[in-house]
Amino acid sequence: MRTRILVVLTLALAATAGALYLTLTSDHEDNPEFIAALYLVIVWSFIGTGLLAWARRPGNRFGPLMATVGFAFMLGALSETSNQYLFALGEILGGLGIAVFVHALLAFPRGYLETKLVYSIVGTAYFLVLGVQTLYNVFGAENCTGCPDNLLATWDSENARNALGVFAVLGAGYVLLGTAWVLFRRWRAASPPLRRTLAPIFITSAATLAFIGLAIAVSLVSQRAADVMWWFVIFSFALVPLAFLAGLLQIRLARASVAVLVVELLSAGNLQELRDAIARTLNDPDLDLAVWLPDTYEWIGSDGLPYDLAAASAREGKTTTFVEHEGEVVATLVHDSALAEERDLVEAVSAAASLALARERTVQALRQSEGRYRALLDAAPDLMFRFDREGTYLDFNGHPEDLITSPERLLGSRAHDILPQEVADKIVNGVREAIDTGRLVTGDYRVEIDGVQRDFEARIVKDGEEAILIAREFTELKHLAAQLERERDFIRTVVDNAPSLFCMIDPEGNIVRFNQTLEQLAGVPDGPAFREKKFWEVFIVPDEVEEVHRELASLAAEGAAGEHENHWRAAGGGQAVVAWSTTPLLDEHGRPNFLISGMEITERKRQEEELRHSRKRLLQAGDAERRRLERNLHDGAQQRLVSLSLALRLAQAKLQADPDEASKLLNGASEELAQALEELRELARGIHPAVLSDRGLSAALEALAGRAPLPVDVLAPEERLPPPVEAAAYYVVSEALANVAKYAQASSVGVRVTRLNGNAVVEVADDGVGGADPGSGTGLRGLADRVEALDGRLHVESSPGRGTVIRAEIPCG
Amino acid sequence: MEAAVSHTFFVATVLIVDDHPSFRATARAILEADGFDIVGEAEDGTSAVEAVHRLEPDIVLLDVQLPDMDGFAVATALGANGYMPTIVLTSSRDAADFGPLVYECGARGFVPKAELSGAALHAVLR
Repeated sequence: MRTRILVVLTLALAATAGALYLTLTSDHEDNPEFIAALYLVIVWSFIGTGLLAWARRPGNRFGPLMATVGFAFMLGALSETSNQYLFALGEILGGLGIAVFVHALLAFPRGYLETKLVYSIVGTAYFLVLGVQTLYNVFGAENCTGCPDNLLATWDSENARNALGVFAVLGAGYVLLGTAWVLFRRWRAASPPLRRTLAPIFITSAATLAFIGLAIAVSLVSQRAADVMWWFVIFSFALVPLAFLAGLLQIRLARASVAVLVVELLSAGNLQELRDAIARTLNDPDLDLAVWLPDTYEWIGSDGLPYDLAAASAREGKTTTFVEHEGEVVATLVHDSALAEERDLVEAVSAAASLALARERTVQALRQSEGRYRALLDAAPDLMFRFDREGTYLDFNGHPEDLITSPERLLGSRAHDILPQEVADKIVNGVREAIDTGRLVTGDYRVEIDGVQRDFEARIVKDGEEAILIAREFTELKHLAAQLERERDFIRTVVDNAPSLFCMIDPEGNIVRFNQTLEQLAGVPDGPAFREKKFWEVFIVPDEVEEVHRELASLAAEGAAGEHENHWRAAGGGQAVVAWSTTPLLDEHGRPNFLISGMEITERKRQEEELRHSRKRLLQAGDAERRRLERNLHDGAQQRLVSLSLALRLAQAKLQADPDEASKLLNGASEELAQALEELRELARGIHPAVLSDRGLSAALEALAGRAPLPVDVLAPEERLPPPVEAAAYYVVSEALANVAKYAQASSVGVRVTRLNGNAVVEVADDGVGGADPGSGTGLRGLADRVEALDGRLHVESSPGRGTVIRAEIPCG
Repeated sequence: MEAAVSHTFFVATVLIVDDHPSFRATARAILEADGFDIVGEAEDGTSAVEAVHRLEPDIVLLDVQLPDMDGFAVATALGANGYMPTIVLTSSRDAADFGPLVYECGARGFVPKAELSGAALHAVLR
């Protein structure tokens, strides 16, 4: 840097020497002293301040630009020469200094131009001093006295010169007014400190412009007065660079310095280095830096410890400046209050530092949260993995037995090296999606661990440029779900196949659904069509709808279960007797419903009715039998015995007087007695055949056959059967034979008793006229009752003309 | 017993009503032997009522069990018809089997069939 400045300085000295020589030795310069003074004062004013600025702010082009103004002004000295070529060059470049000055003025303080307007102003200035000036020379500008011939003047044209003059005036006006406008705008936008910086420049510039205007105006009156004014112009103009320098040095931080700070900040490895860099830049060694951690809601100092901002900013002579990044406070600078005078500087530093601070804050936040994170990880029951975007396992938390491999092998490996391709793809894709989008990514996967297939649910969250995968096992859940499903199927199967009728209704009596058994009974398939229908309208016979409706209505109000028996509609327009009750039951959505469960008892009812009738008939048959016995005893044996008694008494009375008569009476009495005995035997058999008890069914049936009035063929096993079975079989045969004798007009009868499947099967078949009706008459009905009382069954086949077969099946168990 | 019968002023006339011929024959023999005049026999309730009106017996030996109506009904019917002979019910059953029916129907008494004799009949009449 120093070398560069020395070189420029040397060049400047040489150029100055040359310019002074040309000026002072010029044969056509009217006022060589003035020009020489101009060079010495103005040129060196610009070059000197330019080099000084350059040395102080090497990154800022403003210094070199100022020096260039000085050099450019010196080019005008070329027109002092007698050499034609150099003179022409001097004519062309003589005004360059003005344009470069405008350039520098508008580039202050940053050193480069901004906005199109400024570019157009500066461009116009260069065009005027180079292009227009050259053309003006071409069209033959009037030559100064003693000047060498102007090589450029090739086409003398008064009109062209006039036109160029107008153009030049307009252009110069644009540059002058434009510059004034831009400066005015900057002034207005500037903060007070910046205005203080700008003021000297604007004052000197304005003074210079004013003196120029005055000099031109005065020259119209007095050339001497004008010459004096030009001196003023020169000195005021010479002050301009000094004003620049003053401003430049007052804004100690130009863009270049901020750039240096940014570089330092970016290379700062930690908060402490950041603080040091900012402190250096702001020249405040006691500066404090604190970053804001929104997660924990606290300030952290550059030493990494919590920072009491309130206490720090309350200290004497301290001011707080908040550093914002993307609209939120990331840090604060607690600095010397003197720096408040240099708001721009502090703000520039804040802006430069915000990025680095935001980054550092993240690091701090992570560091702060790491402990909490670890605690959280340790406390969580789930398996957690940390992945980078390539799917590398960075960390894990959980039981090693939940891992597919050892922790040592896992960490540092890629998912694709550990897991099956498909699972690894899923996880790595999820990790990338989470990192790229910042959203929670969920999914599930199945891996085999120690030979067991296990299912995991994965939740992947972004964590910086990494992702955390939280895996929760749900193998057990899946099993439970499957078990639940099986149980539900089981219950559904049971409900559908149970003999019970099930119908769920809502509290208004609307059908929710009903089971297959009820579908079959009612002959209607369940479906959406029933959802809005009332239970009683669909299932209850019209006569009982009112009753059931009432019962269910009271049920819904009282919530009590009740037992009822009603006629329900059956398929094909029939009716079924159903015993039913209701139970409050929540449906799968938790709504209170009622389950109507019923049992069809039509058949049971019929059987009960039949049993009742059967019992009655048995009783009646028993009563009739006793009546018959009493009558038989009374009419038969008893009468004979009474007669016998009277005859004996009569015989006794006549024994003396009439022995013959007495003997006749005794003979009659003896006959009477024999008949009475026979009748008693017959009666006793009617009550219960003794041979059946003593000798068994076969013998009893043979005896029965022997007393029958027609041939009876008996085939019966010798084995004994339970007494009730033998008795029932005996009476079936006895009654059947009596019927045959009475009605069948048969020529023979076959009686057969066999054992079949634990039943005694008794068959009495005749070859008579048939046509017996088991429904009419008490004989067959009484037999059926007797058989059914033993859980047996009686069949009668008796087509007319084809004989009669009576078949009884009586269980022997 | 035979002396008692022989000393009677008159010989009482008897109608025997029973559906058993053997009993009717035996009863006739016994009662005739004991001095009663058997004026007729009837085998059921209807003919018994007819015979009572026709024969006007002093005594009706009336069996309780008859084919058409029982002896109580016959006794009631006779009472309703104005002529009321002395009715003695008889049966092969015991009087205890019938309870108050015997006297409520207007009969004088009851003699079990097996104990039938002139003396038993007199005992009731006395």
